[in-house]
Parts: sequence; structure tokens; C-alpha cells
Amino acid sequence: MTKTAGGIEVEGTVLECLRNATFTVELQNGHKVLAHISGKIRKNYIKILPFDRVLVEISPYDLARGRILFRYRN
Amino acid sequence: MNTENSTAGTSDHPVVITRIAEREWQALADDQVVGCGDVSPRPDGRVFLSIDAWHDAVFDRLAAAMLAELPRPLYTVVDEADRDLTSNWERVGFTVRRREWEYVVPTDPQVTGLDALQPPSGVTIVLVGEAEEGPLRALDRAIREEVEATVGWQAMPAEVLPRPLGTTVLYPSKYAVAAQSDQYVGMVRVAPLTRRPRIGLIAVLADRHRRGIARALLAQVLGSLHSSGIETASAEVNESNEAATALFEGVGAQRAGSNLELVCR
Repeated sequence: MTKTAGGIEVEGTVLECLRNATFTVELQNGHKVLAHISGKIRKNYIKILPFDRVLVEISPYDLARGRILFRYRN
Repeated sequence: MNTENSTAGTSDHPVVITRIAEREWQALADDQVVGCGDVSPRPDGRVFLSIDAWHDAVFDRLAAAMLAELPRPLYTVVDEADRDLTSNWERVGFTVRRREWEYVVPTDPQVTGLDALQPPSGVTIVLVGEAEEGPLRALDRAIREEVEATVGWQAMPAEVLPRPLGTTVLYPSKYAVAAQSDQYVGMVRVAPLTRRPRIGLIAVLADRHRRGIARALLAQVLGSLHSSGIETASAEVNESNEAATALFEGVGAQRAGSNLELVCR
């Protein structure tokens, strides 16, 4: 887990793709967050699927929400 | 570096918008990053924006700062299912320019109905990775010239937009082609992603349309993927492209979502 200027970034695994363009991501510590994808990922047409390993920025206002910043190559 | 202060933000904490680089903006509140904006020029010259913010007010501040400094038109892409983000962009002046359907394409010939399909008479399919680079680039240029004379490439995926050298066949190993009379007449590009391969482009010379060449190309690559143990591929189709829609839906492809391209003029 790293603390960056933009918030807390944590690795996780996508569990589920939900209907409203959000994803359930299980973090390394076992917590689950509801995450959107970042604008850069969307702009580059990077697809997020279940079981993908991703880097999530946790919202400083709601620790149950996040933003997927990066998809790792599995 | 341009900086402006605003109290419109998070619970009355002043938000400071700063252009931290040529293509990056940042929103700070109490020395914490609460939003960021990014600019990406595409090879065709169009400029695409993205904004990530935890609050709508911060989104609006970033958008206002970016729109004030960037020449129009400006573009962005959103998942149509993301209603909040779509409305954010519309609120700051963007309108929907086009829709692109995302398809999940089955590969099983029993499902696609392509198991017994043969290429049209006189046409042979050159397998993925076996196409000759020179004729492939020539085909790409020929199709590009045809398309630019009609609907234009701006509705095409980012990866097939013009490049400085005037060709976009960057990875010949990802293409299968249809050959006829010692000439390449059609091509399909498959990005071999292990999770779900992506059919990034399928195109046939205009004077060879409506002969089943695209379907034969699709049959070859889908069958090959199925033989490799891959059950589905993905593809995006512009909503107005009736031929491509019919092609993919004709092999049992299912719509899995849609992306909107928005523009601010």
C-alpha cells in the first residue's frame, strides 16, 4: 500500500463487473470497494474483466469507493 | 503553470486548480489532490480529455479551467452506463457525437454457424501472422483512401487512425487477410489478448463487398481462437455501421455495453 499525492493506492482483484460501469474490487487486505475506471483507462479503451489485477485509488471521502488507475498484465 | 483559486469544491475547502504540465491539470484542496484532468492528442489531431474527480463541483472546476485554455473542438469518451459521468460532461457543454457498441463474439463454430463456411470462389484466407507485409500495407492504404472518400476514419477506432507514415498496419503479425488473384482484398486485425482477444478492424476493398469475404475472414480467426481454447472475443462497432453490425450479430455476437464519444465545439 502506498500513499500518494492523489490518495491511497492499493492493488486488488476485480470480482465483478456491475451494470453501471462500476466494478467490485477485492483489495489485498480483503476489503471490497466499489470502483469506477479512471478517465485515462476509458480513453484508451482498456477493458476491465473479472479476475484482472488492478491498481485502485481509494476515495479519501469514502473508503468503500475507489477508482481503477491501472490494469496489470496477468 | 497557471493557478486559480475557488471555494466551489468540497465542503467549503478552497479548491485550487493548477495546470501542472502541458497536458495535465490538478485540483488541490487542503494540499490534497481531489481531482485531475488529462489531455491526449490522437494521431488524427483530435484532442481527447479525461477528468477524474471525487465531487461534481471539482469536475466542473477542472473542466472550466481546461476548456478555457484548449482550442475547440474537444472530445471525450464515456461508458454509456456511467450516467453520472455522462451528465457531468453534458453539463459543461459536451454533446454526444456517436455511439459504439461493444460486442462479445462467440468463437465456437457451432454457435457462430460458421463451421461449414468456405471462402468465396477464388478467395483464399491467409492465416494470422502469415500475411506478407508489403501487400498488407498496400491493402491498408487502398482501404484507407476509400474510407476517407466516404465516411472518414474519424469514426474508426483510435488504433487505425492515420499515423505519420500514412499507414496503420503497425503489427503485421496480428492480421489475417483475404487474397484473390495475387492481391490482398480484405483484412482482419486480432489483438491476441489472453483474457479476451479483440477484433480491432475488419475491412474489405469496396469493389469486393457483399461477396462474403469479411464473413470468411471472421470464420477463420474465430475458428482459430476456438481451437486455441478461447471461447469469446470482443469487438466494437460504430452504431451507424450497419454492415458491421449485421456481420457480428449474424454470428451470434451479443451487445455487452456501449461507449459514447462526446464533443464540445
